[in-house]
Amino acid sequence: MSYYFAIIGTQDNPLFEYDFGTSKQGGDGMARFTEQARQLNQFIIHSSLDIVEEVQWTNGQMYLKLIDRFFTSYISCFLTASNIKFLLLHQPPSTSSSSSALPHPSSSGSSSTSTLVQSSHHPPTSASTSSLSVIPSLSTLTGGSNSSTPTLIGGGGTSSRTSTSIAANPTSPQTEEAIRNFFAEVYENYVKAIMSPFYKTNMEIRSPVFRARVAAAGRKYL
Amino acid sequence: MSASKASRLGEETRIEKVNAELVVLTYGTIVAQICKDFENDYAEVNKQLDKMGYNIGLRLIEDYLAKSNTMRRCSNFRETAEMIAKVGFKIFLNVTPTITNWTSDNKQFSLVFDENPLADFVELPDDGRAQEQLWFSNILCGVLRGALEMVQMQVETHFISDVLRGNDTTEMRVTLVRYIDDELPPEDD
Amino acid sequence: MSNHLPAGGNGGGGRAGDSGLRYPSNGKTIYHRPLNRTKTAELSKAAFAYLFAEMVSYAQRRVTGIQELEKRLNLQGHPIGLKLLDLLLFREPPRSQLRPLNIIALLHFIKINVWTHLFGRQADRLEKSSNPDTPDEFMIIDNEPLVNAYISVPKEMSQLNCAAFAAGIIEGVCDGAGFPARVTAHTVGDTAGEGGEMWPGRTVFLVKFQPEVLEREALIGAKS
Repeated sequence: MSYYFAIIGTQDNPLFEYDFGTSKQGGDGMARFTEQARQLNQFIIHSSLDIVEEVQWTNGQMYLKLIDRFFTSYISCFLTASNIKFLLLHQPPSTSSSSSALPHPSSSGSSSTSTLVQSSHHPPTSASTSSLSVIPSLSTLTGGSNSSTPTLIGGGGTSSRTSTSIAANPTSPQTEEAIRNFFAEVYENYVKAIMSPFYKTNMEIRSPVFRARVAAAGRKYL
Repeated sequence: MSASKASRLGEETRIEKVNAELVVLTYGTIVAQICKDFENDYAEVNKQLDKMGYNIGLRLIEDYLAKSNTMRRCSNFRETAEMIAKVGFKIFLNVTPTITNWTSDNKQFSLVFDENPLADFVELPDDGRAQEQLWFSNILCGVLRGALEMVQMQVETHFISDVLRGNDTTEMRVTLVRYIDDELPPEDD
Repeated sequence: MSNHLPAGGNGGGGRAGDSGLRYPSNGKTIYHRPLNRTKTAELSKAAFAYLFAEMVSYAQRRVTGIQELEKRLNLQGHPIGLKLLDLLLFREPPRSQLRPLNIIALLHFIKINVWTHLFGRQADRLEKSSNPDTPDEFMIIDNEPLVNAYISVPKEMSQLNCAAFAAGIIEGVCDGAGFPARVTAHTVGDTAGEGGEMWPGRTVFLVKFQPEVLEREALIGAKS
């Protein structure tokens, strides 16, 4: 599993970014994003901000769980008291391990990358994709039960093969809990960062200690 | 007065309390505001903080004298140091700095702060200068200077290290300049 | 993506980054201390009173007029409100760790959580403006604000209300939580009629929300 974690400010401005890989089951903690996927991650995170805004004022929880999906990238969200967004993109390893699971356009120019986002994520096809992934997270929030979550997106072979593994199954209750713990630990450190009298809202968080703490939380839970 | 008596005084003194974080956050907002006002001219910020502390020290001493139940002047500078650490700072900041590094002439010592509530939530700005120039808790230097002036001691105080700057300790150096003659009024700042 | 941070991190381990900050080898940084360590710690009221008085007199030297002074005190309270919002919600037990979603929940959070933490007791009352023309106005009432208790305001500045500082804290909480507002402090003690004589320092914090807050609230109310 590869992870991309971002803290997004109130003006949709990035305050902190970090990518890493799983440390569970022998993982080496390194992200396996291709250079192209790495760039795409930022677009994916940004496009899920709209969904965050939809639930922001109807759900008072801080941990909003899974809120979006883009192909094999899953996005979990945590909202701070001051409406700063923690977004975690998690991507299970694809069967061909060297590539990211995203379809590669043959040309690698940035323009084609953005068209890919535009065409496949937002309009008609994407409406079903995103609503599919939103429904389970909302139903778990209101109903409390999340037994149906794994099967909703499942379908593929990977989820059934290792259903309890955080590294392979982004929709399992175990993964949801692991991410909850990760966010909680990052939040504690985030509050410490913003308590400083020199920290102003929407300032980039540059403290190397903070970065090390996020990395440690990633190693510990993911 | 013995050291143990001094420390007991600090603990027994009954003082009206407020939430520590209210004080700490208020101090933080003051420092941030001064930094803004002086466009991060940290030397000037240090000066302003020292000046504020001096004003506080002048008034604080009355509190101290009332609460430490002693109107008696300390008989020597070593005793003064004990009272500062174990009563003064205990009352003001609820911490007791360690007294150390006396010079042989007994006119200079250090206060080492294991705890410094003022800096509890602080990380200095990453601008390449703050860690070289800003003494975040410099108000304490002024407090001490002002308070001791009220009891006829002219001292010089400055920080020589701070954990906020990456040092392993927070240490303030205190030097007795002279005893002020009773006839002379304390100089006005 | 010109607005993106230059480096996305490179997996595993804490990258030192381009930060030039030094840290003590014994790890005495905010990140190494539990956030709840000073939750119930206390300091002398005198320490606060002196500090606050110095803040006011420093501010006074840099402004002309009482309105400007109050504005400045408000500005200095504002970041404290922003920080407390996250700090106090962080400290809530997980079950009640809920972001305030409407004006009433937000004002209760201020009246109870913020006030109790800062001043050792709740604020005395919450009120909604009874004037139909100002549905955006709410009042938090404190009979005896701590910040006023220690400042003896000089006669020529009798209109000054140091509670402007507390008003700034409230404004910070509101803005941070996504309820942008203007908050002002008004002493109503002597003119308030009943009970007014008992609390000569009674202060009303007038919270005036921006229109979009009420619009959103109407929208959410209609949905649910």
